[in-house]
Amino acid sequence: MLVQDIMTRQVVAIGPEMPIRDVNVLMEQRNIRHFPILENVGKGPARTGPDDQDAAVDRLVGIVSDRDLRLVGADHPLAPAGVAATDPVRRVMVAPVLTAHPLDPIEETAKTLRENKIGAMPVMEGDHLVGIVTGIDMLDALVRMSGVYEAATRLEVEVPNRPGALASLLAAIAERRHNVSSVMTSRADAESVTFVLRVATVDGRRLAEHLRGQGFVILWPVDKTREP
Amino acid sequence: MSVAVEGKRRDGAAASSVRFVYDPSLAEYELSPEHPFRPERLELTRTLLEAVGALSPEAYAGVTPIPERELARVHSTRYIDAVRHASHGELEDEAYSFGLGTGDNPVFPDMHEAVLRVCSGTVSAVELVASGEALRAVNLAGGLHHAMRAKASGFCVYNDLALGIRRAVDAHGLRVAYIDLDVHHGDGVQWLFYDSPDVMTISLHESGRYLFPGTGHTYETGRGPGRGTAVNMPLEPFTEDASFLEAFESVVPRAVEVFQPDLIVLQAGADMHRNDPLADLNLSLAAMGASYRRVVELSEGFTGGRLVATGGGGYDPYRTAPRAWALLWAAVTGQELPEDVPAAWRERWASRSPVALPEHMVDDPSAWTPVPRRATVSSHNRAVASRLMEVLETIWSGRGAQPERAVEDREDSP
Repeated sequence: MLVQDIMTRQVVAIGPEMPIRDVNVLMEQRNIRHFPILENVGKGPARTGPDDQDAAVDRLVGIVSDRDLRLVGADHPLAPAGVAATDPVRRVMVAPVLTAHPLDPIEETAKTLRENKIGAMPVMEGDHLVGIVTGIDMLDALVRMSGVYEAATRLEVEVPNRPGALASLLAAIAERRHNVSSVMTSRADAESVTFVLRVATVDGRRLAEHLRGQGFVILWPVDKTREP
Repeated sequence: MSVAVEGKRRDGAAASSVRFVYDPSLAEYELSPEHPFRPERLELTRTLLEAVGALSPEAYAGVTPIPERELARVHSTRYIDAVRHASHGELEDEAYSFGLGTGDNPVFPDMHEAVLRVCSGTVSAVELVASGEALRAVNLAGGLHHAMRAKASGFCVYNDLALGIRRAVDAHGLRVAYIDLDVHHGDGVQWLFYDSPDVMTISLHESGRYLFPGTGHTYETGRGPGRGTAVNMPLEPFTEDASFLEAFESVVPRAVEVFQPDLIVLQAGADMHRNDPLADLNLSLAAMGASYRRVVELSEGFTGGRLVATGGGGYDPYRTAPRAWALLWAAVTGQELPEDVPAAWRERWASRSPVALPEHMVDDPSAWTPVPRRATVSSHNRAVASRLMEVLETIWSGRGAQPERAVEDREDSP
């Protein structure tokens, strides 16, 4: 899955001169927490790309999030010194901006978001702002990838960390003609790998027994007679 | 030992106004000879009821076929076409994307026609009750609650319950409370009416944490105009009679009272029983019978007695499903059953049953080995019910905040 598969394409961008209090209002109105800041957008209303060709070719000069605005004007030791709500947003914006490319794999982008403790990255194709991707988009992608929207029985299986182990697990499930709606790796070390699978069958117990019979270590469903 | 169904026949619930929808062809919904979903349960139940004298000839009602196009009120036309083609030996690769041809939902010859008859049976039951011809009606072949708009799932090809409910809502303008007592979450019916303010779905089931289909969490409460009309009470594995009935009482009567339905549709899957091999609740027939009685009482309190009931799951076909559904029929007709299972019935089926057939109509849980974690299970269920009702009461009173972002639509939700 790539950034272009999960990003928001209609980006709301603002200019560096927009007063901070107006940015706050816009965040509230549009239910958005991050605005890319484009050089030639004035004090006035935001622009939405990429249909807006002007916005698309404009230069990205910063980004602002709700966190950057939260303490403006507050009586707080961490409040930005000497900044008032009437000041232009460029006073609190963050630059340079970490950006993503539409063809970046989402796991790379997720890693960048986490390592830099940021919530969103504008997506650039050369100098063109073509989208924005946020932590929430990542969470939505994870939910979709987990297959949780399909009716299924959830299995956790530990297999040896060697070539063909997953293939033999899937072959054992295919023997019973069950469709697998998702496979995820939840843990791995030198000896073993744990996979979380969602399998479209009512009878998860019989499937688990079948797999145990073939030597697989089934971690879930658990033995329900034990205290959790 | 006491029988689960006690008390006298009630006013307005004369046995003669309750109909038993029946046609031998309903048993043709047999997914495969090895499949755990056994159509023999229908004949086992019917013969048991006749053996105890609880099913009179006047109670029988036939199946009125519904037009095929009525399926499209619930299912996508592409899906209906795929089912029809697969049933007639044209299983295309595309069928897999509709959940067909899998271990759970194998394709069998004339499957489309067989499941269409099951759907017709449930719609017939709804029609009998909605038209006033009967006070209550039962279609034990029905209860295919997992079928989705465009997908076969969990042994269910078409969703007879959703079709019956649609008929009640669209043709008769009724508000329908759907109560699902199958051990698996009633996901198909829930998602098909998730946005609907005219239908409340109430499901009690073993927690999706452990069991297919994985849904039925307390926070699935409906969406948009249907917010507050989906009610889910997940139960811990090994839940026993007392804890189940306590959870039922904490949730179901209040939900029905708030919703004020015109008709109750009950899915009475028989798989909450301890002997069920596919799930891990530990109910006895006494509690199952008691829950059916309570649903009947709720119909008397809120819908003028109008109730449609179906079967559903139940994978202990010889011992459990016939007795559970005999208790269901006894409850909806206000009859008492004898304590003992007639010897003639046991003799009739003994050679086919892989297990010893029971001697009594309800079991004696005191003879069972105590389940582990009994106290933990009960207190957990109590806590879940209490949190669930807190959430629902907030929504029902209009104080609940709307979710900021819509939850991503399930592929099969309407």
